[in-house]
Amino acid sequence: MEPNFNIDRPKVSDEEINRHKDFDKLVKQFKEKSLKQAQGDESWWKNKKVQYSTVITGVTVICTITYFSLFKNQSKQKNTHETLITNAAPDKKNKKPFINAPSQKLRVPYSAYKINNANGGSITHPSSSKISIPKNSFVDKQGKDVIGDVTIEYREFHDIGDIVASGIPMAYDSAGTHYNLESAGMFDIKGSQNGEPVFIKPEKNIQVQLASSNDDNRFNQYYLDTVAGNWQYLQRDDAKPIFTNTTKAPTLPPKHEDLSKSSPKLLALKNVVEVIIPKRIDSVTTLYTKKAAQLPKAKEPLKPAQPSKGRPTFRLDGSYNEFPELAAFDNVIFEVGPENTNYTQEMHEITWSDVKVTQGPVKGKNYVLNLTYRNRSEKLVVYPVLSGADFAKAQSSYENKFGEYQELVEKRKASEQRLMAEMQAKQDAYLAEQKKKREQYETEKAQLFAKYDVERQNQIAGSFKTMSNSNRAISLFNVSRFGIFNSDCPHKTPEGNSVNPIFVLDNKDNFISPDFIYLVEHNTKSVYTLSAQDAFKINYRPGNDYTICVFKQNKLYLCSKTDFQQAVASGTNKFKVKSLAGESENLVDFKKALEI
Amino acid sequence: MAINPHFHHTDDQLNEELVMIEAAKLDPNRFAPLYDKYYKQIFNYVHQRMESKDTAFDITGQVFLKAMLNLQKYQFKGVPFASWLYRIAHNEVMQLFRTEKGRKCINADIGDLRHICEENETPFFEEYIPAIKKLITELNEEDLQLVELRFFEKRPFKEIADILDITEVNAKVRMYRLVEKLKKSLSKLKV
Repeated sequence: MEPNFNIDRPKVSDEEINRHKDFDKLVKQFKEKSLKQAQGDESWWKNKKVQYSTVITGVTVICTITYFSLFKNQSKQKNTHETLITNAAPDKKNKKPFINAPSQKLRVPYSAYKINNANGGSITHPSSSKISIPKNSFVDKQGKDVIGDVTIEYREFHDIGDIVASGIPMAYDSAGTHYNLESAGMFDIKGSQNGEPVFIKPEKNIQVQLASSNDDNRFNQYYLDTVAGNWQYLQRDDAKPIFTNTTKAPTLPPKHEDLSKSSPKLLALKNVVEVIIPKRIDSVTTLYTKKAAQLPKAKEPLKPAQPSKGRPTFRLDGSYNEFPELAAFDNVIFEVGPENTNYTQEMHEITWSDVKVTQGPVKGKNYVLNLTYRNRSEKLVVYPVLSGADFAKAQSSYENKFGEYQELVEKRKASEQRLMAEMQAKQDAYLAEQKKKREQYETEKAQLFAKYDVERQNQIAGSFKTMSNSNRAISLFNVSRFGIFNSDCPHKTPEGNSVNPIFVLDNKDNFISPDFIYLVEHNTKSVYTLSAQDAFKINYRPGNDYTICVFKQNKLYLCSKTDFQQAVASGTNKFKVKSLAGESENLVDFKKALEI
Repeated sequence: MAINPHFHHTDDQLNEELVMIEAAKLDPNRFAPLYDKYYKQIFNYVHQRMESKDTAFDITGQVFLKAMLNLQKYQFKGVPFASWLYRIAHNEVMQLFRTEKGRKCINADIGDLRHICEENETPFFEEYIPAIKKLITELNEEDLQLVELRFFEKRPFKEIADILDITEVNAKVRMYRLVEKLKKSLSKLKV
């Protein structure tokens, strides 16, 4: 029966997978099974056949031991031979490391950076590569979050000189086919805390924006698997050019904000527009509000009233010598308001021993009459009214006072209107000034930004001209583990001509027997590591430029481009090499010697 | 060939894992970090080969139980612990298919099929999908396993060798032959 073939079947979600994880259940099952196995072992031992077999085996073992004891001396020699064979077996310690830097002096050094694990951060390498580290990205050996600073060690390899010096093999095996990688940029990143390695959390990714020399789209990203001894393809390298000579450099809007903050003129204008003028407008408002409040206020006089028909009234008839506070109410009649539900007619028949008049619920309109006799006390809301000549006199006085009142009100209205007009005029003046200053600010800002943009464009364009090749494109790597990452293009081993070389020092009969050699193909920027196992067999494409680096007992010898061409042109397998003494002391001189 | 970076470990990671394994040998409760680390991977490996999600979860449980029961026998061979778990998972899955053949299924993404074509230097067109499916389902069990492990799951040869219990060289030779075979068949595809 043919199996079903599903294309793009939906993946089971992480949540669902995690729901099925049950370690406690697993441990329980493990314990039960272990117990059963132990019981099974016991029942197996109880089997009679097994018991008999064991007895027979025991006897055989005793006989064997006796035999070997008797012939011990004869077998000793054989044992010695076995030991010798074991000693002759390859010693793991002497095995050549997978990454074998040919010289410590040429080593590309690491740059060390400190990053706080809780905060994360970003690192800008001198090559302009950027490393962005999210918060809490690192764990220790036990898988626990690292607390404190983590040291990130980082280095880059950009050309064939760096690659030779690194000792990083560039051979790549894909499905049984051998390739050699041409690198557009490679980096090595590792992390530690107090000398102990740290690890990147599985769900976290460090982003490395590698400043690269090549924005071609023919490169892939690879990771060097030092365990498997091969490069692993990660993804296509979608290197983005920073910009080119023909394209306009990007404008930088966020920088404008910084720019406006650093210009004193703009800052002063902004201060006038946003702080000083609004404050002045506020102070005008406050001043005129105060002035308006100080204008004389008119109080409307109380209009006298006559008693209502049918409503009960009280007249205070007491000794004003004894109660001087009531003298003001002489001739006033207090009409009992309809809201007094406690009012009874009999209240008029009592001679109240104490009377107090207090302000009523409606100020200036009514009063509360507090009447007390022995234990009894009553409260009545009363309205002052006048009758007869008292009313006529009060009415005349009211009319005079009301006329004065009206005159005062008109005056106040006129004064308020004048103040409002003055305030409005002043505020309008300030608003006009604010508008003018804002326009001036915007004009200044636009001019400053335009000038800045031109300068920036010129600066970037100038930088581009002087910029090294390594800064012309950015390759984005998502780093989920530490190690060596590479932007590469695989090339098949050259299939043109081949030669088994002999290396001759200084054109004399002084032959060098190399430990290993690097064949550098300048045209493809490829570095081939060749070993004695393959008799250092060189495959080359006629017409291409090659240099050979020969390493012998930590000494470096070089067959230059010219010497290589001369050797292959003459059809000989003798390649002239010269010793690099000073040039092998540092990477810069070594690269010069390599003619790169 | 895209290799899934998920299956790879640095020397430091391998050493770290070895510490965990030795701890788990002494105390089963300390198997937890390994269980957490690999549960999803093993489940995906098992589920990749069958229709039923529930069966895949059951088998995943069995894989870890067997791993715990046999942990004392585990020997470090320089590859991630996952390789050993995959081998147990592989045996469990094969055992299931021996008893219930109908359960076998193949799962791939269109991207995987594209990889197969690219690896075999054949341009990929969506119209090829039925023919590629047919080609793959008609492969023998051994070749099909290689296709799944290498092209669908992007494992390195070292790990494939370990799962299938063969040498790395043998895995490469088999793959080379398979690629040649696929190349021939794919070259006949026409839009």
